[in-house]
Amino acid sequence: MTEKDRPEFRDEFSEAEFFGFAKSYLSEAFPNPQRIGCPPDSDLQRMAEHPVEARDAAASEHLTCCSPCFKRYMEIIDGLKQQSS
Amino acid sequence: MATGASPSSFRLNSVDRHGRRIDPAVLAAAESVFPRALEYGTNLLGDSAVVTNTLEEVAATVSQLIARRDPPGEPAPIRNLPGYVFRAFVRQVNRLKSKELAVLDAAIAGQTLAQRLADPSRQLEMKVLVDECLAKFDFTERDMCWRRLEGFTWDEIGPVHGLSGHAAEVRFRNAVRAVKAKLARSRKPLPRATQAAQNEESKLATEIDDGKRPT
Repeated sequence: MTEKDRPEFRDEFSEAEFFGFAKSYLSEAFPNPQRIGCPPDSDLQRMAEHPVEARDAAASEHLTCCSPCFKRYMEIIDGLKQQSS
Repeated sequence: MATGASPSSFRLNSVDRHGRRIDPAVLAAAESVFPRALEYGTNLLGDSAVVTNTLEEVAATVSQLIARRDPPGEPAPIRNLPGYVFRAFVRQVNRLKSKELAVLDAAIAGQTLAQRLADPSRQLEMKVLVDECLAKFDFTERDMCWRRLEGFTWDEIGPVHGLSGHAAEVRFRNAVRAVKAKLARSRKPLPRATQAAQNEESKLATEIDDGKRPT
């Protein structure tokens, strides 16, 4: 069997599937009811408008493990998208 | 919708389904190309009623165009009106056909996606992939991911990070591909002996559940 024929290489990356799953997973999997380590809303707003690694790395990292912040960030960038269109 | 038949072939309505009037000269041109239009349109759209409506709509649009460009009393600016109407009709039919295909593709893709996401083993695979991606992505790739999740186009995402839309898309895809390749390399199949033992165990469990004595 060649490398190309191996199942894991035949299964092409499906963007719709990846993002569809990621959005629902990140929205629900990390409830964080105590809101431990959550950045202030202004930090999320600033990162959405102009992301800078040196300043926003921690907030971006936090979104991977906090569903409330993830959902809030999605709302903020959705607002930006509406404004720009 | 066409009504009755003219001496040449067919008669079209002088008003399209949106209530727009069709200029008599354009109507005559549309009726003269009707047999060709019907053949072409039916091949692509399948329904002669839809084809007729489309031809009437095209004729009404051409009438409006002529009225705008051509004040009353001036000669028509289009030399070959039947040819013009037919070409406009062909473009419209092609547009309708591509829309129909796009809707069909989206419906099939949505159905397949829903089926795949309902599969628990697929969900587990996706969870592992998403976790691994978010752990391995750098700041820029993660930010691209957040924006893409909210429906930003690559052309909108790229400039946020000083990249073109295409460069952003390629960078993101390569990042995911690298994670997938790493996961694929680390995936180890169960040893044969272990698999055989597991199969035997499940067979025994089934037999015991069914009240049979193991052999």
